[in-house]
Amino acid sequence: MDNNLRALFNPENIAVVGASSNPSKAGFTILNNLLSIGYPKKVFPINITEEKILGLTCYEKLSEVEDKVELVVLITPSEMIYGIMEDLDKRMAEKNDVKVIVCAAANYGETKTEEGIRRQNCLMDTAKKYGIRVVGPNCIGVIDNINRVDTTFVETLLPKETRGKRGGISFISQSGSIAASILMTGASQPAPISMNKFISIGNMVDVDFIDLLEYLEEDEDTKVIGMYMEGYSDGKKLINTMARISKKKPIVVLKVGRSDVGAKAANSHTGSLAGSDAVYSAAFKQYGIIRTYSFEELIDTLQAFDAFPLPEDNNVFILSQAGGFGIYCTDALLDEEVLNMPVVEEETKAELRSILPDMASVCIPEGYADITASANVRQHVESLRIVLKDKNVGSVIFITVIPSFLPSKELAAELVKLLKEGEKVSKPVLICIMSGNYVRESRVILEKNGIRTFDTPSNAVKAVRHMVEYASFLKDAEGRK
Amino acid sequence: MSRYLNELDANRLLSGYGIPMAKSFLCRDEEDAAKSASELGYPVVMKILSSEILHKTDAGCVFIGVKNEKELRDAYKRILENARAYKADAVIDGILVQEMAEKGLEMIIGMKLDPQFGPVIMAGSGGIYVEVYKDITLRLLPIDRLEAVKMLKEIKIHKIISGLRGIVYDDEAIIDVLLKVSKLVMENPDIEEIDINPLFVYEKGRGAKGVDALIKKKDEK
Repeated sequence: MDNNLRALFNPENIAVVGASSNPSKAGFTILNNLLSIGYPKKVFPINITEEKILGLTCYEKLSEVEDKVELVVLITPSEMIYGIMEDLDKRMAEKNDVKVIVCAAANYGETKTEEGIRRQNCLMDTAKKYGIRVVGPNCIGVIDNINRVDTTFVETLLPKETRGKRGGISFISQSGSIAASILMTGASQPAPISMNKFISIGNMVDVDFIDLLEYLEEDEDTKVIGMYMEGYSDGKKLINTMARISKKKPIVVLKVGRSDVGAKAANSHTGSLAGSDAVYSAAFKQYGIIRTYSFEELIDTLQAFDAFPLPEDNNVFILSQAGGFGIYCTDALLDEEVLNMPVVEEETKAELRSILPDMASVCIPEGYADITASANVRQHVESLRIVLKDKNVGSVIFITVIPSFLPSKELAAELVKLLKEGEKVSKPVLICIMSGNYVRESRVILEKNGIRTFDTPSNAVKAVRHMVEYASFLKDAEGRK
Repeated sequence: MSRYLNELDANRLLSGYGIPMAKSFLCRDEEDAAKSASELGYPVVMKILSSEILHKTDAGCVFIGVKNEKELRDAYKRILENARAYKADAVIDGILVQEMAEKGLEMIIGMKLDPQFGPVIMAGSGGIYVEVYKDITLRLLPIDRLEAVKMLKEIKIHKIISGLRGIVYDDEAIIDVLLKVSKLVMENPDIEEIDINPLFVYEKGRGAKGVDALIKKKDEK
C-alpha cells in the first residue's frame, strides 16, 4: 500500500495553511473540526497576522514549523500557491517530512483558464518533486473517524459524542457539494452516521478513485463503500478495480450524467470524460456494483449494508400495522421484479392468528400481514418474532403508524430486545415507523442500538432490493469459482 | 480507417464460429444463380453484393421470395439494371442467392467497440420498432454462460421466449450465439462492430438463424 496515502488518514501532525480566526471562514472551520473530532496529534495553523487561533499557536510559514508535518491542508486563495510552494520547497529540502497535501481551495485546473492550470501545475510540480500525494484541488477534505482526522470545512452539527465513532461506511465523492450534503444529511439521521473514512476528491489531479478504492479495499474497518461519480478518464480500469472489490465488499454508487445533457454538464463540472452512461450501467450490473438513482436511495442503501446481514433469498415479508402503508409497500415491492412475497408455513399463519386481534388479516395476500391499528406493543413484537423464524422469509419490512394510544418508545425498546438482545437475528428487518417528529424518539432508540430505520416503506424496498441483488451476485461469483 | 465487410464475408466469419447464418452463394452469372437456387431449394432471396451499394433495398437490389427459376432469371436481370440505375459505375461483386430463412421470433445481437470500455455486446428485441421499444441489454465482453443467461432474462422479450403465447422459443440457441459472438470478438480485436439483425429464433429445439449481418473492421492499412 502507498505509505503516503496512509498519512492522509493517519498523519503525524497537520498544518493548515490559510487557517483563520474568522468563524465564517473555511480556514476556521477546518481547525474547529480537527479540534472537535479530537485529533490526537499536533495541529499548526499557518497565518501571517494571527498569534493564536482556537488556542493553537500560529506560524507565519510552513517552513517555520519545527515539528514533523505529514499532512498539509491548503485553504488559501489559489493565487497564493506560488509563494506557498516556494516555502514548501524550502521545508522539504530541510525536513522532507510532508507526505500529503489536501488542497481544499478551488480556482485551479477546473476553471480551464490558463492561470488556473498554471496554478495547478505549480502545485503538482512541487508535489511530484518530493513524491507528495495531492488530494483535490477543489474539494471539501478528508475524514477518518477512527484516527480522528477531519480536514473538512463542513459544519454538520454532528453531536460531539458521535465524533470518532466507528462506522462501516466509507465514502468517496467527486463533488464537493454532494460530499458536504452526505455529511450533513448523515449527521441528521435519528442516529447520526459516523463515516469510517470520507474523501472529497475534487479535481483528482493526483489521488483519484482508483487509489482510494484500493485503499478502502484493504481497509478492514470499511464494510461498504459509497461513491458519488460524474466520470473518470479510464472507465475500463475503474470498472476492473470496482469489479475486483465488489466481490469482497459492496460498492454503492450514485452516478450522474444519465441524460445526454447531464453528461455534458458532468464533463464541464469536473472536466472528466463522462463515458457512455448506458455502458457504465451495464458494467455495474455485470460486476455486482450497486447503482442508486437518488440521494436518499444512496444513503438508505449504504446504511442498510452497514447495519444488516445480507438476506438469504429474495423473499420479503411485509408486516404492517396499517392497511394503507401495507398496500403502498406491496406495490413498491412488486415493482421490483427481483423481489418476492413468500408463502409462509401454515404453522406460522396459525401462530400469527392466535396472537393477533380478530380483525387482523394474515397472509391475504401471501407474504403480507396487517396486524391492524388495534395491535399493542406485544402483538407488534410477537408477530415479528413469529414471521422471522419462518424459513421461507428472507427479510421483513415492518411498518407501523403510531396511534396516540400506542407507546412508541416502549415499542422501540421491545424491538431492540427482540432484535439485539435475544437470539441473534440473521435476517434484515427494515423498520418504518411513520412518521415525522412525533415518532423521532422511537427511531432514535432503535438506531442508537444499531437498527436502521427508514422514512418510508418504498425507501426500505429499494434498500432491500439492493441487498438481495448483491447477495445473489455473491452467490453467482461463488458458483463461478 | 475502418470498413464494412461485404455480406458474404460477414456471413462466413460468423459461420466460421458456429453462429448459424442463412446459407448463401455468391453467383457471377444467371446459370450459377439457377444452380445455387436449386441446391438451396426455392423460394430464395436475391441481393446485390457491392460495397458501393449499402442501402440495397432502397436501390431495388433485393428480391425476397423468388419462387422458381423463371422468377430467378428475371430477378437477376432486374437487380443488375437497378444497380446500374442507382450508381452507374458501382463495382459489383456478384449476386447473392440466399436461403429464404423461415420467419421466427425476431431478435438482434450486436457488438460495438466503446471508446472507454472496449467491446460491448448487445441483445434485444428485433423488428422495425427496435428504436421505439429499446428492449435491449448490454454487457462488457467477454461474457460467460451465466452472464448470457442473465442478459436474456433482463429483456422484455424473455417472457415471449418463455412461452407467453404458447410457443416456447429456443433460448439455448440465443445463449449460444451470444457466447460465440463473445469468443469471436475476443479473438478478433480488429472488429469494431457486429450487427446480426434479424436473428430468427425458432421453437425450442429448432435453433436460431441469422439472416442479415453487418461487420465493421479496422482496416489493415
